[in-house]
Amino acid sequence: MYALIKLIQSLVKALNSEGTPGQVAVGMAMGSALGLTPVANIHNILILGAAMVLNVSLPGVFLGWALFLPLGFALDPVFDEVGRALLLDTPALSGLFSTIYNTPVLALSNLNNSIVLGSLVGWVVLFFPIFLLCRGLVTLYRRTVYQRLRHMKVFKAVQASKVYNWYKMFRP
Amino acid sequence: MTGTPEAPGTAQEPPKKRSKIFRWRAIVPLVLLVILLVVGWILLLDTLVERGVEKAATAIVGAKVDVEEADVQLDEGAVVLRGLQVTNPDQPMKNLFEAREIVANLRVGPLLEKKVVVETLAVRDVRFGTDRTESGAIDNPSPESRRLWREVNAWADQIRIPPFSLEGIGRAVVNVDAISPDSLATLAHARAAVALADSMRTTWEQRIQALDPRPQIDSAQALVVRLQNANPAQLGIQGVTQLVTTSRSTLENVTQLKDRIASLDDQVRDGVGDLRSYVQEFEATKDADLAYARRLLNIPSLDAPSVSPALFGETAVAWLKPVLYWVKAAEEYLPPGLDPRRRSGPKRARASGTTVQFPGRATYPKFLLEHGEAQLAIGGEGVAAGNYAALLQGLSSAPAMTGPMRIFAERTEAAEGPRQLRLSALLDHGQQPIRDSVALFLAGVSLPSVDLGAFGGTLNLGTGTSDFSLARNGDQIAARLFWSSRSIQWERSAAEAAAAANAEIGSTAWAKDLLWRTLAGLNQVDVDMKLSGSLDRPAVSVSTNIAQAIAQSLRRALGEEIDRAEQRIRAEVDRLVADGVQRAQAAVSQLIAELPPEVAAFNTEIGQVEQLLQDEIGKLTRLPGGIRLPGGR
Repeated sequence: MYALIKLIQSLVKALNSEGTPGQVAVGMAMGSALGLTPVANIHNILILGAAMVLNVSLPGVFLGWALFLPLGFALDPVFDEVGRALLLDTPALSGLFSTIYNTPVLALSNLNNSIVLGSLVGWVVLFFPIFLLCRGLVTLYRRTVYQRLRHMKVFKAVQASKVYNWYKMFRP
Repeated sequence: MTGTPEAPGTAQEPPKKRSKIFRWRAIVPLVLLVILLVVGWILLLDTLVERGVEKAATAIVGAKVDVEEADVQLDEGAVVLRGLQVTNPDQPMKNLFEAREIVANLRVGPLLEKKVVVETLAVRDVRFGTDRTESGAIDNPSPESRRLWREVNAWADQIRIPPFSLEGIGRAVVNVDAISPDSLATLAHARAAVALADSMRTTWEQRIQALDPRPQIDSAQALVVRLQNANPAQLGIQGVTQLVTTSRSTLENVTQLKDRIASLDDQVRDGVGDLRSYVQEFEATKDADLAYARRLLNIPSLDAPSVSPALFGETAVAWLKPVLYWVKAAEEYLPPGLDPRRRSGPKRARASGTTVQFPGRATYPKFLLEHGEAQLAIGGEGVAAGNYAALLQGLSSAPAMTGPMRIFAERTEAAEGPRQLRLSALLDHGQQPIRDSVALFLAGVSLPSVDLGAFGGTLNLGTGTSDFSLARNGDQIAARLFWSSRSIQWERSAAEAAAAANAEIGSTAWAKDLLWRTLAGLNQVDVDMKLSGSLDRPAVSVSTNIAQAIAQSLRRALGEEIDRAEQRIRAEVDRLVADGVQRAQAAVSQLIAELPPEVAAFNTEIGQVEQLLQDEIGKLTRLPGGIRLPGGR
């Protein structure tokens, strides 16, 4: 477990030492896909891959995942409704879904499941609002909370610890 | 890492430089991650297939399906399943069947579409009805399976198996006071018939009153007389035109009245038909009342058709329940047409949702077994031991794409047990209506034991023949399971045998002993169980030669006594229902005698008047030589 944490820390350190609020926010918005949609799906692997390749905050991705996971569970009924409406009640899209369902590899995307489709559409729609919200909150955090915390002994102690690595993403 | 970090936004911030979009250093870890995932997937593929087969099959069967081991060779498209156990949903401690090894050759391409196309399939060492070490019942069967079993169980629960009791048979004590008039269906039916007749009378009389045809008929008849006496030469063109216009207006009214009376006449005829049918049902309700009264008095029916369900009703329902389930499951999982199909999504921490399948544009269905030639070697020393050859074509989850499914199986060599096995099945689910036909014949098969509690013993059917056939056409089903055995064993409990030794003539024990001796004399038993009618609520019927023997034996020994008791019951039931039936018949007869002729007479009369009016108008407007006056048509 320790080795895994160290690996993640070193990965974070190597890949994300220059996280701006924008990078953190994009990371969180991308990570929200992992929380909002059922995680074991191909689109999440692609998003995770994209998050690694693109210069976004990886800890932000994991934070977004953690923050939006409960929301994903809570919104399942809504996603189900959206997905069913698109899959079953929108004749104009039935051709598209039929093609996806019968195309190699694309068929593995599980987009014919109401929760997967509804939550993915929900995430796409919410991506930009999530990005804006997270960027605003991170900026606000750095201007206010962080300024107060950084002088506290406890915070300094935390900074000196491994846990601080997780907070580094909030650094400019 | 350990130093105090720079405060964000301080004066000594380095000049901002443009961020790069790509993190090229992450490519290597990403590739490593992908490799890790692929290697993990390959390593876990066997387990994934094992779990996948277990999950899918469990959902279909509605009970636990276990696979001991799966071996997947993707490059060869081969999947080997070992130690397959399919639980019998009705008996969770038994397997429906168990297969030592199943080898399937798959097409790899369709797997990328999440579709399984099996080119060939070989099943080895299959055993049926084996014991399980642990229960195969599942707490949460798939919603589809749960719904199907709920429907089948609801159907089974509503089937009333008539009891067969020998209590009090020798004494034949008949207490007719126990028959409650309130419980007699005939009286309720009679009351309903009177109410129906009254309701029809009120409705029809109101309609006749509303139509009030007499004044209109009289007026039209007067006009006919006027037309007959009219002289066109005296009336002149204007007079004729006015008269014709008036006559046509009357004719239109008469035609409308005729239509309304004809409609009433039709309604009355239908109503009379209903009432007559209602009256004819009295015989059936009387039979039901007689059966009710007989049950009340513990007098068994001596008719073989009544005894058979009492003896084998539960056995028949237990064996026909799975038939009904599988017929319904075949429709559920092999539905006709190519419309999108809804299934509940996969089980996971998140909600399952609905998974929709779109077979419309597909090259392959979700599952297809193109051509399976299976050599089924049933091992061991059991009765089913031997070699079987089976041929299976076109087993598909979308039969509309692949055509009917055919199954043939035949025993090629018998080691033990059945001398003969023939199976043929044709499932045509391409389009509505669905047509299924299945025939399975087994000779030398081990048949079950049947508890004959009413006689205090058990019938072990031993080894015999089992002939099963099923035909489904749309929502109609006709299934038959016929057992015949010559190697039967009658096993009587020691307590019953001891009771029989000291039985007093006419007592229950005496009657049981009498029947047991009758049964023990039988050396062949035939049981014919049938399921027929609508798929939603099919009827079960059972007949057996045992019932005939019992009925004959009872008639010989107790016939006169029971006949007398039955006559008393019949007389009492007749007495109780006589008044009610008479009243109902009188009410119906009176209604039929009065109103329908009246309506029919109006109908005839108005038709005649209409015809006369048309004729007279025609005469008035037609001059010699075919010249028509104004207003003529």
